[in-house]
Amino acid sequence: MSDLLQAIEEKLGDAVEDSHAYRGDDTILVSHDRVLEVMQTLKDDSSFRFNMLIDLTAVDYLGRDPRFEVVYHLGSVEVEARGSEPSSLRHRLRVKSGVAEVPCEIDSVTSIWPAANWMEREVFDFYGIRFKGHDDMRRILLYEEFQGHPLRKDYPKERRQPLIGPRN
Amino acid sequence: MAEPVKKARTEGKGGLHTDIQKLNMGPSHPATHGTVKFTVELDGETIQAMDVAVGYLHRGFEKECESGTYYQAIPYTDRLNYNSAILANLGYCMAVEKLLEIEIPDRGEWARVLAGELSRVGDHLTRLGAACLELAAMTPFLYGIEARELIWDLQEMLCGARVTSNYVRIGGLQRNIPDGFEDRCEESLKRVDELLVDFDKIVTANRIFVDRFRGTGVLSREDCVAYSVTGPLLRAAGIPYDLRKAEPYSKYDEIDFDIPVGTTGDNYDRFLVVQEELMQSIRIIRQCLPVLRKTKGQPVDIQDPHIRWPGKNRVYGRMEELIQQFKGVTEGIKVPAGEAYVAVESANGELGFYIVSDGSGKPYKVRCRPPSFVNTQPLSRMLVGGLLADIIPTFDMVNMIGGECDR
Amino acid sequence: MPGKVVRVRRHSNFGWKERLYLPMIFVGLGVTARHFFENFWGYMIGKVKTFVVQYPEERLDYADAFRGHPVLVALESGAPKCVACGLCEFACPTDCITILPDETRSAIERIPKVFDIDMSRCMFCGLCEEACPEEAIVMSRDVELATYDREAMLFHKEDLLRTEEQLGRRIGFIREEYNRA
Ligand code: SF4
Ligand code: SF4
Repeated sequence: MSDLLQAIEEKLGDAVEDSHAYRGDDTILVSHDRVLEVMQTLKDDSSFRFNMLIDLTAVDYLGRDPRFEVVYHLGSVEVEARGSEPSSLRHRLRVKSGVAEVPCEIDSVTSIWPAANWMEREVFDFYGIRFKGHDDMRRILLYEEFQGHPLRKDYPKERRQPLIGPRN
Repeated sequence: MAEPVKKARTEGKGGLHTDIQKLNMGPSHPATHGTVKFTVELDGETIQAMDVAVGYLHRGFEKECESGTYYQAIPYTDRLNYNSAILANLGYCMAVEKLLEIEIPDRGEWARVLAGELSRVGDHLTRLGAACLELAAMTPFLYGIEARELIWDLQEMLCGARVTSNYVRIGGLQRNIPDGFEDRCEESLKRVDELLVDFDKIVTANRIFVDRFRGTGVLSREDCVAYSVTGPLLRAAGIPYDLRKAEPYSKYDEIDFDIPVGTTGDNYDRFLVVQEELMQSIRIIRQCLPVLRKTKGQPVDIQDPHIRWPGKNRVYGRMEELIQQFKGVTEGIKVPAGEAYVAVESANGELGFYIVSDGSGKPYKVRCRPPSFVNTQPLSRMLVGGLLADIIPTFDMVNMIGGECDR
Repeated sequence: MPGKVVRVRRHSNFGWKERLYLPMIFVGLGVTARHFFENFWGYMIGKVKTFVVQYPEERLDYADAFRGHPVLVALESGAPKCVACGLCEFACPTDCITILPDETRSAIERIPKVFDIDMSRCMFCGLCEEACPEEAIVMSRDVELATYDREAMLFHKEDLLRTEEQLGRRIGFIREEYNRA
């Protein structure tokens, strides 16, 4: 186990359900009701300083419980440049959190990283996962009249939308 | 919309009453490259609030990737950022290679660096040229496009297509660097240099141009980090964060190049940072060429028929390879179950691929972390309080590429 | 290799030359005029330096690697070389190839009865060519596909067949290229 994971587990204690470093990517699994608290610590704690939310997405593991997994990729960038040194703490972390099919929701992290705004909208758009505390939960890449959530595994690729009509 | 919307009447100059005016810009607006819709609320000419609607170019990239084999997703990655397709190819293939735990031969890595940097030069030239064009300066645009044309000719020589390269493969490259490429490349770069000097003369110190760029669309360092902005935008704000240096992949740790940074994070800084990065990319290409000359004749692919389809001469003539070819095409590459995230520095910032594999020949999930999408988000933050006319240079410098943003 | 971080140079304090618009405009005019006269001179002495070509009349030669739309290679008898193995159908990301196999009495035993490529979906990626174990489908050098109706974008076997002479350059390229270790 890497130093980072060890430090995180020490700091966060039982909030970390599981951790691994598959192919060198440090990953922790967090229960969905503690995401906000964990993220706040990861951002504020001086030994982690994950001040950048690199990516936020979800994966649909159809047939598994919980069905969805929201995946956060965190990164760290030094805001104050230090001479000619590349200003990164050079660590990354993947945080995953399971989300059940009902209720399909998880806390929003927009209060911690404003960058999460669009990314959460995108996950809502494609997976139908609602983010509690997000003040603008609209579709983003698809249009309002779109039915269903296309990246769910039970959404067939060939499905036609009512506004599009059948294939001619 | 993060910003509060002022609904009250405001007092215009000279006691005139003005109402807040709502204006739709786009989705297809002549002065924006990329289909995006801005809904701006204007007080006179000052932007009070702004909503950016993206998604007009959504084509279901991730769903398509899930439905095909790993191999079949490569041409789709071309169509993300169509200005620098090779960089997207590279990111995707590196992610799969990380799952497979393979390393490609040295020459392959150098060829990848070369191809990627050519792509980046093309992208930056487009960005600079288009920025001038949309401010009604046709001549510098044409110089930029002529230079890009030369770069794209090189790409065509390399991979057979100017835009949709489909060049990088899992475990190697589509083909080795062709004979005579290095010389042609040097020749073209010489001309590109000349054109860039002319470009610089016309634009960079021209006050008409500078006035539009200086002090507009400012995004502070703190905001950049809060909004996860990466790439030239972040560097223009003064944070020297470049993945090629911070987490060197491929051969970037053996290459000598500088990271340009700005000070204020306005459009002028962005323009200058991109311009300097262009020079640095050309410098990198010039460092790749001697290595490629020296390693002539060496393979660029890994020698594993389970990953890289065997050479055609063997497929035509031998049973074993023929069977491998059949299995390779129909079943796809078997990638061990697990997940991996790989990020490369694309022309717009951190282009990441997060791939989940279930052990079969098809990816379970391919997520592209699009720099354009993330960088477009703080547009309203950059522009509220500015003038309507600032939208154009700011949007140019953000360089939202529809294909990548909307996927 | 340690890299430097360089600060870009902003033209923040304009001298009189920049502050008055006119001198810089003349600098710009000078650059464009130079380009004009270079091109003009090149035109006069017959060495055209301009980048633009008058497209339908004048054409550029594409690189050897150039990928146009996929076509089928014909044998000398005129029948397709294809053995309807279906690999290209599998490899095609956009599912635009449709093959119906048939048996023949000739040496290769199988030929395609139907071989359709829907060019409105084809993206010229070349994966079909890479997959084919028979050198039967190759990328041509044609890209001009405009039609008046969509039906015409569905290319049938007859539209796709080309003789080996017509495809000489491409086939030569493939042979050279795929002899990799
Ligand atoms: S070029 Fe690509 S899209 Fe077109 S038929 Fe071949 S494999 Fe399919
Ligand atoms: S892969 Fe080649 S031989 Fe097989 S069906 Fe396609 S064209 Fe015919």
